[in-house]
Amino acid sequence: MTRTPELLTPEPLTIALPSKGRMKDDAVAAFDRAGLTVSAIGNDRSYRGRLEGIDGVEVAFLSASEIAREIGAGTVDFGVTGEDLVRESLPRPDERVEITARLGFGHADVVVAVPDIWKDVDTMADLGDVAADFRARHGRRLTIATKYWRLTQNFFSTRHGIQLYRIVESLGATEGAPASGAADIIVDITTTGSTLQANHLRILSDGVILRSEACLVRARKPSHADDPRVAALVEAIRSAG
Amino acid sequence: MTQFGAPDFAADLASALVSLEAPRVDIPVIQPAEPFLDMAGEDLRRRIFLTESETGESLCLRPEFTIPVCRAHIAEGVATPRRYSYLGQVFRQRREGPNEFYQAGVEDLGEPDEARADARAVSDARVLLARSAPGRALTITLGDQSVFEAVVAGLGLPAGWQKRLIHAFGNEQALSAMIARLASPEGSAAPDGAVAGFLASGDAGGLEAHIESVMAATGYSTHASRSPAEITARLMDKQALASTRLSPAALDALRAFLALDVTLDRAADALAGFARKAGLDIAAAQTRFEARLNALTERGEDLAKMHWRAAFGRPLDYYTGLVFEIAAGEAGLVLAGGGRFDRLMTLLGAQEPIPAVGFSLWLDRIETVRAGR
Repeated sequence: MTRTPELLTPEPLTIALPSKGRMKDDAVAAFDRAGLTVSAIGNDRSYRGRLEGIDGVEVAFLSASEIAREIGAGTVDFGVTGEDLVRESLPRPDERVEITARLGFGHADVVVAVPDIWKDVDTMADLGDVAADFRARHGRRLTIATKYWRLTQNFFSTRHGIQLYRIVESLGATEGAPASGAADIIVDITTTGSTLQANHLRILSDGVILRSEACLVRARKPSHADDPRVAALVEAIRSAG
Repeated sequence: MTQFGAPDFAADLASALVSLEAPRVDIPVIQPAEPFLDMAGEDLRRRIFLTESETGESLCLRPEFTIPVCRAHIAEGVATPRRYSYLGQVFRQRREGPNEFYQAGVEDLGEPDEARADARAVSDARVLLARSAPGRALTITLGDQSVFEAVVAGLGLPAGWQKRLIHAFGNEQALSAMIARLASPEGSAAPDGAVAGFLASGDAGGLEAHIESVMAATGYSTHASRSPAEITARLMDKQALASTRLSPAALDALRAFLALDVTLDRAADALAGFARKAGLDIAAAQTRFEARLNALTERGEDLAKMHWRAAFGRPLDYYTGLVFEIAAGEAGLVLAGGGRFDRLMTLLGAQEPIPAVGFSLWLDRIETVRAGR
């Protein structure tokens, strides 16, 4: 029996794009500049789309944090999402995904910020001193409010050898935690720093954990190696950047 | 096939533990997670198996025995001195090796003769290993944070520097980076105008009042976190440090000390020779150090077969004195680790300070050595 041509057609390649808001518009515009038009299948609110310019590529519209997880799990081939979400959601991200291109939007820094009135604390080394003494002075460990558990642990423990702190999970309005007494310091994202300033917080001079922006991220799959669609997509986006 | 049950020699080890006058304790597998995270730090979170009770309490599978044994001792208000032994599974997320494996060990709580208790811990661990892995060459290495603390104090370094160095002790990379920084400190960012003014005139009272008023004006509590007094004191310390640097002599002495690595039979002489050459008075630390060596000799240990490495420590703030490690062969698998953790008992809620020393054996590694792999 001979194979029908349909069976030889490769699986469609899937790109996950943000499903709404500014991130969606910017991502679609980045593809446009690369000569690739994203169009929704059906109406504008549809969660599936196609890419005109390269055959056999599908688009899935997902929420930004889902995108990072799906690339990590390999259920999509590419995705546009913030580097912060990739590094926060995935253990050992560099083994599982590749940052193919930085897209120049969605800029946000993940930073360590302390109350501005901690005039004696300029650097992570200062913070290490404070953390080392905290228990003896206050009967508890130094607390950090954040939703970035993984990034915080890597930065404090691995990069700066600071072990003696506790993370207080924060699901919103992290910048208010020090003034409200919910935590001593914070790790959060900031774009202009104005929210931090309004809450009388100051970024440590060596306290930038990650300068994040939206990226085209590829799931590391062996099948990508000789897939011409992968090469075409990467080439188009990189040369537009 | 990977072995998940207790290794064959565990039963023999269990009876050996009983003969050490350390009654066996049973510790529940499911433990509150807070004490482990509080003692070892947040980084432990990703290395233990965490779950939550229905009421939201954070629970974990026991990642080790020392903390639960000490907590049980405190909760039951048992009289000291008291020794405990344990043998059972511990659970940790590891990149290599199984996530559940066996540990056994002894905790010695409240023995006032510290030299004797230290020597006993080292000696018990060695005897148990010699019995479980007969005929295997063992490398025994000792370290002592209290000697390092005495050297740092003896060098007359400012208190802030002493604290930083002691905190980094045990992490050789962090410690050498710290020493380099103290030798040629970077200028730190200048504080803002108001603060700089108070610092220039040495007006601590004015500075504290200023900080307090800024905190009040910006809605920060003066007692929920760091207080104005604490911030002021550290600002004054930092200013004092900015104008000093580690002298070449002190730097040489620190480096010479950290490089000391000798067999125990020569350790007392090496330490005395170092102190003489560096012109340091660390007599009290030397006396304690020598008392431990004598106690080891009294137990019949061969000092020529053990090493003292001056830079060896553990970067956890509850280790205070002796630390030791027993490995198979030269630079081999670590089969046993132990040390003195006098600060742990009060951190865990003991009303009175309780001296404590102990060790644990890694049964999976002993099994590997026994199998000759």
